[in-house]
Amino acid sequence: MAKKKEKVVDSGLDTIKSTVHHHSEFFDTLVELIPARFYLPDETERKWFPGLSKAQKARAKRKTTENLKKARRDRLDPEKSALTTLDLLKQKIEKEKKKLSNVVAEDDDDDDDDESEEETDGRKAKSDSVTYEELRQRLHRKIDELKGGRGGSERPRSHEKRKKIVPNKRKREKTVEEEEDKAKLDVEEAAKDLTYGYVKIDDDEEHGKGSKKRRLSKSRELERALKLEAAKKDPEKGEVIAKKHSWQAATSRAAGIKVHDDPKLLKQSIHKEKKRQEKNAEKWKERVEGQQKVRVEKQQKRSGNIAERIEQNKQRKIAKREKKLMRPGFEGRKEGVINDGK
Amino acid sequence: MGRFKNNKKGRVNVKPIAKNNQANVDHVTGDKIPKSFVFSRTKLPGSVKQLQMDLRKLMLPYTALSLKEKKRNTLRDFLNVSGPMGVTHFLMLKKTASALSLRVARTPQGPTLTFKIHQYSLASDIAQSQTRPRCPPDLFKNPPLIVLSGFGTQELHLKLATIMFQNIFPAIDINTVKLSTCQRLVLLNYNKDTKLIDFRHYSIRLQPVGVSRKLRNFVQTHKAPDLRNLQDVSDFITKAGYGSESEGDEEAATVTLSSDLGRVNKGSTKSAVKLQEIGPRMTMQLVRVEEGLCSGGIIFSEDGNVDGKNKQDGDEEDDAAGEEESEEGEEGSEEDMDEDAED
Repeated sequence: MAKKKEKVVDSGLDTIKSTVHHHSEFFDTLVELIPARFYLPDETERKWFPGLSKAQKARAKRKTTENLKKARRDRLDPEKSALTTLDLLKQKIEKEKKKLSNVVAEDDDDDDDDESEEETDGRKAKSDSVTYEELRQRLHRKIDELKGGRGGSERPRSHEKRKKIVPNKRKREKTVEEEEDKAKLDVEEAAKDLTYGYVKIDDDEEHGKGSKKRRLSKSRELERALKLEAAKKDPEKGEVIAKKHSWQAATSRAAGIKVHDDPKLLKQSIHKEKKRQEKNAEKWKERVEGQQKVRVEKQQKRSGNIAERIEQNKQRKIAKREKKLMRPGFEGRKEGVINDGK
Repeated sequence: MGRFKNNKKGRVNVKPIAKNNQANVDHVTGDKIPKSFVFSRTKLPGSVKQLQMDLRKLMLPYTALSLKEKKRNTLRDFLNVSGPMGVTHFLMLKKTASALSLRVARTPQGPTLTFKIHQYSLASDIAQSQTRPRCPPDLFKNPPLIVLSGFGTQELHLKLATIMFQNIFPAIDINTVKLSTCQRLVLLNYNKDTKLIDFRHYSIRLQPVGVSRKLRNFVQTHKAPDLRNLQDVSDFITKAGYGSESEGDEEAATVTLSSDLGRVNKGSTKSAVKLQEIGPRMTMQLVRVEEGLCSGGIIFSEDGNVDGKNKQDGDEEDDAAGEEESEEGEEGSEEDMDEDAED
């Protein structure tokens, strides 16, 4: 009788356990769905931002942004485990338990209780994580089934497809490596014989462009050019000199350096320069003459004006003097008496 | 007394339309910037006219893009105009019955190099042969870099050619040059056996290395990637993409940038240099070097005697008989070979 009762009780206990387990699972999945920051209370102390100084505020802001960035990275980092809401909740509970245990340290009963609770918590955590993985795999399998179902025939699944292509890639890589070696050899050979465009570096200059201080006057250059021409006509070494000079001249001209070796052109340019100088001298003379003329004119005009003014002043004075004697009936000065002339 | 029209018989009309007043002297280096005219004295057939236009674009920005020449213009006129405008080089195309030649000359009295063009392809042909032709908007705003290969320093005429080409494009000052201005490249390769010079024109592109193609594409064009076959977003990022065939070859072509270039290539990381061909492609041979500007003594001559005097053009052209001119039709093989291997 007792056995039966036990059995019933046991089965009853079992069913109760399973139902409780089911319920707890259901609630766990619900809790998982809620993001941690909404479910669990926030325990960080908010800094009182309005009460801080400028520097402190800047520091706090920087810290928060860094924390945000770090949190974002951790969230997306596959290596670091993502703590679900449930795990955080469990952590919190454990922490609280630890605190309580520390406060009531000598109480054995409490310790036992804590241990057992921790164990169950641990087991529960493991089982929960397992179920999550299981769920994920189940989901993917279902998706594949659905995909396969739609297609009808044995289409290769996505992961199977990947396996097929990989061996081809290996073959490709081998041939690529061979070609790479050959290309390297060719590149080395070619690199020995490359010339590039001009690159200007501060210290050195191209060719002979820098030596400007050795600029000879044109007459000297003319002499040199004539000498060169004479040398070219020289029967013995004329040819050699001519060739060498023409190549040299061509090279430096191509590089932008001016080469003066044609006596005719040099004579022309000397002639032009002379003419230009003469013209300039003429112009200068004219300018000087003109200036002088203008100066003289001005001076003359000025002296004329001055003389005129003096004259006018004198006349004005005379007129003033004579004005006093302009009485009616008497005009001008006394010119003696009428019967004076004896 | 009738009205007298402006009688332009004696006068000569050269109308180079210089669009912008460019500096004659480089602000930074203080050197004179070399400028060029690309023209032809004879009438050119259609494809050669396009080649001339391509050459003009190549020489941008320091050239007259819409230079108009009239029949009456002689070389003298161009010379007279080049003085005040600071033009240093002339590139002249000439088409005769037997050959197409390009003359590169330095103004006032510089040497003239005559190249005979054996084969050429136009820029439009090359663009048509590529799957993704590339022409960013400011490609022609900066002068190109030049690389000469295989010329050596021994032979005088080759040395002269290198110096000539090096001076056609302005020098770069490494202290102040910006990486974003180096966008084009002109490559001249001399083949010792056949004595032919290959002329190529590329655009330079930098791509960060060590990043899978998917990520690179995603960062550059912000199109949402296709995650259908992946289980998780992390797979998209960590999965080793099937690298393109050209990625392995370019171990030698990676450089470490000194500064950032655009948003994608960061400084002091490795980037791969990718060249994509634009612009005309030519195979030419140096046949003559003259001392003066299309005048003066000939100091070097291929297939002919080195003569002190300047022979008539007709005789020399006959000497070079047996070389055909080629049109784009014969370019089919060349175009297929050099297609850009991008996948």
